[in-house]
Amino acid sequence: MNSFFEIFLRAVFIENLALAYFLGMCTFLAVSKKISTTVGLGAAVILVEGLSVPINNIIYQGLLKEGALEWAGLGELDLSYLGLLSAIGVIAAMVQVLEMVLNKFFPSLYHSLGIYLPLLTVNCAILGASLFMMQREMTLGQSVAYGLGTGTGWAIAIIGLAGLREKMKFSDIPEGLEGLGITFVTAGIMSLAFMAISGINV
Amino acid sequence: MNNDDPRKAVLVVILVALVCSFLVSASIVLLAPIKQENEMLVRGQNILSQTGWVEQTNPPDREAMLLMLEKLDSRLLDINESVFSDAFSIEEFNERRAASNPQTSHTISSEFDTAGLGRRSRYVVVHLIWSNEKQLQRIILPVYGAGMWSTLYGYIALDATDFNTVASALFYEQAETPGLGDKIEDSGWLAQWQGRKIYNTSGRVSFRVAEGRVEPGTTAAVHQVDGLTGATVTASAVTNLVQYWFGKDGYLPFLQSLNKTKLKPAGGLSESSESVISPGIVVSTGSVVSKGSVVSPGTVNSPASLNINKEDPQ
Amino acid sequence: MSASDTLTRPLLRENPVTFHVLGICSALAITNSLNSALIMSLALTCVLVLSNASISLIRKHLPGSVRIIIQITVIASAVTIVDELLSAFLPDVARTLSVYISLIVTNCIVLGRAEACAMSQPVRKAVLDAVGNGLGFSLVLISVAVIRELFGSGSLLGYQILELVSNGGWYQPNEMMLLPPSAFFIVAGLVWLNRTWYKEQVEKPDFKPASVEVDEIYSS
Repeated sequence: MNSFFEIFLRAVFIENLALAYFLGMCTFLAVSKKISTTVGLGAAVILVEGLSVPINNIIYQGLLKEGALEWAGLGELDLSYLGLLSAIGVIAAMVQVLEMVLNKFFPSLYHSLGIYLPLLTVNCAILGASLFMMQREMTLGQSVAYGLGTGTGWAIAIIGLAGLREKMKFSDIPEGLEGLGITFVTAGIMSLAFMAISGINV
Repeated sequence: MNNDDPRKAVLVVILVALVCSFLVSASIVLLAPIKQENEMLVRGQNILSQTGWVEQTNPPDREAMLLMLEKLDSRLLDINESVFSDAFSIEEFNERRAASNPQTSHTISSEFDTAGLGRRSRYVVVHLIWSNEKQLQRIILPVYGAGMWSTLYGYIALDATDFNTVASALFYEQAETPGLGDKIEDSGWLAQWQGRKIYNTSGRVSFRVAEGRVEPGTTAAVHQVDGLTGATVTASAVTNLVQYWFGKDGYLPFLQSLNKTKLKPAGGLSESSESVISPGIVVSTGSVVSKGSVVSPGTVNSPASLNINKEDPQ
Repeated sequence: MSASDTLTRPLLRENPVTFHVLGICSALAITNSLNSALIMSLALTCVLVLSNASISLIRKHLPGSVRIIIQITVIASAVTIVDELLSAFLPDVARTLSVYISLIVTNCIVLGRAEACAMSQPVRKAVLDAVGNGLGFSLVLISVAVIRELFGSGSLLGYQILELVSNGGWYQPNEMMLLPPSAFFIVAGLVWLNRTWYKEQVEKPDFKPASVEVDEIYSS
C-alpha cells in the first residue's frame, strides 16, 4: 500500500466496496434501472467519497486518535470511540452542503441527481470507506486516493448492473421474479465474477 | 418559536448534540471498568492457551489464571537488536502505542512489508516457557498484520528444540467477515498449526495457508494448514504476516541468536541462586541474547540449528 | 391502522428487506451462521426501538432543514451505546460482528423508519412500528441464515445436523452457500415467494414478449 495509484487500483477492482464487501447494496439494487441515472449517481458517490474520506482523515488524525490532542496537553485522551459518530456527522453535513452548493451553482446537475443526493447519507459504502480509512491509519494523501478509488469502484459496479438490467428488459422472466428478484440474481452472478479477482496483489 | 426559524434550528442541533454526546460518553465511562476487566481476562486466557499449561476445553477460573500469569516469564524483546531490553517495564508497555510512536517503532521497508504494516513496534513482549528442569520449552511470539477488514493480532508459540516447529498458534483479535474470515479464530483450524514448520531446510520461511485442503504426503504439507473457504484474502494475509514476522526484518535474527546462546529462566520459576532475577527485568548474565557470543554447541538448548535442520522431511 | 396491524404488517406483507429493499448489506454479509444472524437481529431491533422512540419524542421540534442530520446523530448515538453494551456484557459476540454493528448506522431500515414513521407518529406507535420492522428484518435474516448454515456447513447454531463427508458422514457441504453471493440468490427466492403470495407487489414488466400460439408456429 505505497503508491497512491496502487491504493486507487486496489480500491476500484480488488476491494470493490459493492461487489467484494457488499456495501451500499440498498441503493445498488433499488436505483440501477437506467444507465443515465446511475452515471449521475456514480458521479455523486465519487464526489462525496473523494471529499468525505480526506475530511474524516483530518478529523481523525488531528482530534480523535489516541494521543492526537498532545498539543492541548491531553496526550492521554483517546477519543477514537467517537470515530463513528464524527464520520457519519461529516458525511450527513457534507451531503447537505453539497446539495445546497449544487442547487445554487450547478442547477442542471442538481436536478439530474434529484432524490439520490440526500440518499447518499445512508449509503454504507460511503461510511464504510471512512471507517476503513480510520482502521488502516492512512495518511492524508492515501485517504484521497482511497476515497476516489472506492467511489470509482462503486460507480463502475452500479453502472455495470444498470447496463445488464437494460439488456434484460426484453427477457421473459418468470412471474414474481421480475424487477427486484431478478436483480438480486444478476447482482449475485456479478459478484461471483468479481470474486475471481479478489486476493490479487497489485 | 417557529420550526423554520434558523435560531431554533441552531438551538435544537446544539441541544441534541449535547444530549447525545452526554449519553454516549456516560455509557463509555460507566462501562469502561467492565470492559477492562473483560479485556484483562481475555488477554490472560489468550496467553495461557499458548503455554501448554491449560486444556482448551477446561479454562482455569479467574484466580487460577492470575496465579499462572504471575508464573509466566515475560520479557521485552528489542527486535532490531535481537536482545532483551529493559527500556520499559512489561506492565506499562503498550505495543500498539509504541508502534505509532516514531521513537519506539521501526519503519518497514516496502520490500519486506508483506504484512502491510508500514511500521511496527521496535519492542515486543515475548513469553518464555520453562520445564521443571529449567529447560526452555517454548517461546511465545506476538504477530500481527493487515487482513481484509482489520488488523489481525495473534501469537505463535515455537518449540524450543529447534525454534522452527509451531507448538501452538492463536489469533485473538480480528474483525474479518463473520462466518468466513473469522474462521482464523476457529480452534479446530488453529489446532492444525501444531507441528507445522515455519522454515524449510534452507532456512526460508515456507509456512503458508494452503488453497483448499493440504494434501497429506506432499513435501510442502509440513509447512501448510488448510485454506479457509471464501476467505482468500484473510488466508493470504495470514501467510503474509508469518512471512514477515519470521523473516529477516522480524524474528529471524533473534531466533538464530537463540540457537547460539543459552537462555536461563528469570526469577519467577528458578530455584538456583545464580539466575534469580526479578521477573521481567533482564540482567546481563546469560539471559541477554548477546550478539556474536559464541557458545559451544553443547550448551545450546536446541540440538538442531535453525538453518541446517536435517530433520525436516523436505 | 390498528396497533396489531402496525406490528404485523412489516413481517411479511411489507417486509423491510423483501418489499422495501432496505438493510440488504447485513442480510448478505452476516447470514452464513445462524448465531451471528440472531445477534445482529437483536442489535438492530434494539437500535431501531431506541432511535424511533427518541426521534418520535422530539419530532415536533425538529426543523425540516436539519432533520436528517439530527436523526443520524440520534441513530449513531444509539448504535454506539448498543455497541458498548454488547462489548461489555457479551464480548465474544461483539467481536464476531465487529464492523457490522457500526454499519447499523447506515442500515437504511433505521433511517427509513425514522423518516417514514417516527417523524409523524406518537411514541407508542413508533415503538410498535420499530418492533414490527425489527422482527420483519430478523425473519428474513434468520431464514437466510438457516438455509446457508444448514447447507453450507451442515450445522445449525454450531450443532452438527447433517454429518459431513470429512467427518465420515454422508453430506458433502455446498461451500458456495458460505460465500456472500449465495445470499443474493436466497433473498431473490424469498422475494419471489413473497410476491407469489402477495400478487399485487409484482412489478409490471417494461416489455412483454409477443405471445405466439404454439399451433401457429406448427401450422405456418
